[in-house]
Amino acid sequence: MDDIGAGPKVVFEIGSIVITETVVMGWLIVAVVTLLCLWLTRGLKKVPDSKRQVVAEMFVKFVNDMVKKNMGEKLMGYSPYIGALLISAVLGALISMVGLRSMTADINVTAAWALLTFVLITFHKIKANGFVGYLKSFAQPVAFILPLNLISELATPASMAFRLFGNVAGGMVITGLLYGALGTASEALHLHFAFGQWAFSALQVGIPAVLSIYFDLFSGCIQAYIFSMLTMVNVGAAAEE
Amino acid sequence: MILAAGDVTDFLSINLTTIIASWLNLLILFLVLKHFLFDKVNKVLEDRKNEVAETYKRADEAEENAKKLEDDYRERLSGAKEESAQIIQAATKKAQQRSDEIIAEAKTEAKGITENARAEIEREKKIAVNKIKDDITDIAFSAAQAVIEKDLTSEDNEKLIAEFIDSVGEA
Repeated sequence: MDDIGAGPKVVFEIGSIVITETVVMGWLIVAVVTLLCLWLTRGLKKVPDSKRQVVAEMFVKFVNDMVKKNMGEKLMGYSPYIGALLISAVLGALISMVGLRSMTADINVTAAWALLTFVLITFHKIKANGFVGYLKSFAQPVAFILPLNLISELATPASMAFRLFGNVAGGMVITGLLYGALGTASEALHLHFAFGQWAFSALQVGIPAVLSIYFDLFSGCIQAYIFSMLTMVNVGAAAEE
Repeated sequence: MILAAGDVTDFLSINLTTIIASWLNLLILFLVLKHFLFDKVNKVLEDRKNEVAETYKRADEAEENAKKLEDDYRERLSGAKEESAQIIQAATKKAQQRSDEIIAEAKTEAKGITENARAEIEREKKIAVNKIKDDITDIAFSAAQAVIEKDLTSEDNEKLIAEFIDSVGEA
């Protein structure tokens, strides 16, 4: 019960640098994705003869089409970035299904990604309008609206960060609460069996899986998609201005 | 608060290390995806697209070529028909000419042969007539000798000779 609503654990530290579970999950995802990429793209042919190539092409086409539709042909260079964002967010949420802590249930991760999106938006706005034009755009269409424009500009990354974090962390908390409740209920109904160190609550089998399908699988994928989509739409819109 | 391994951080704590690590992880993942997935797969997709376009182009070209060849052959075929008709006509004309020549030649030759034959017959006839005349003379002499050996009056003799000569002259 103690770890419900707690932040990620510290795995190790180097001097004053603290490495938490979140970062280790990130490394794990990078390692897995790297191996997966190397495996998927082994022996690519013009006429595909392996399912691996079909899967790799499907993923690349999916991301390419999305980027083309939302950001335009000019910003096709962003598709690997969007793909990285999508994979990180999906795997970061789904990693909880194998009992590890979700990477995206850490506000630092989602904030870092949202900040990057904010930087890209600002970069493209300045590139499209010039620095003076960018500053002037905050006083458009009338000058007194400036504070509102500033808030909306900052609200974009903030809302993105908290949306992703809140969904995954909320799911984690609810799943933890449910586990606790089912454990307590099992003890009350004498369905809790303890064999020394190893304990087993009968009600904890099966029932959490149903909620897990929603909170981890569905919500995780949807929120990952939304985060990538918002990044594409906002950066694409900034570049078009 | 100094954290040690195994400690649990606060739920909403800001951790600069995690933020920087997240950026680095995302950057590495971006580079990995770019080099090991997107660049490779995009190249294959591009190659395939180019190949398909190339194939279509080649097929179009081949079709056009075939059409051109067909037209060419059709034209040549009609030319050949005309030419063959011409050749046949020329050959017919030549054959006709030749046959006319041959017939004319044959006619001339036949005429020559007939004339020769007629001249020969005339000559033979003359020879025969002369020979007969000689023979008659011989016979007349023999007859005359025979008459002379018998008793023949001079009167009768004269008469016989005159008659004989007359009859021979008639022949």
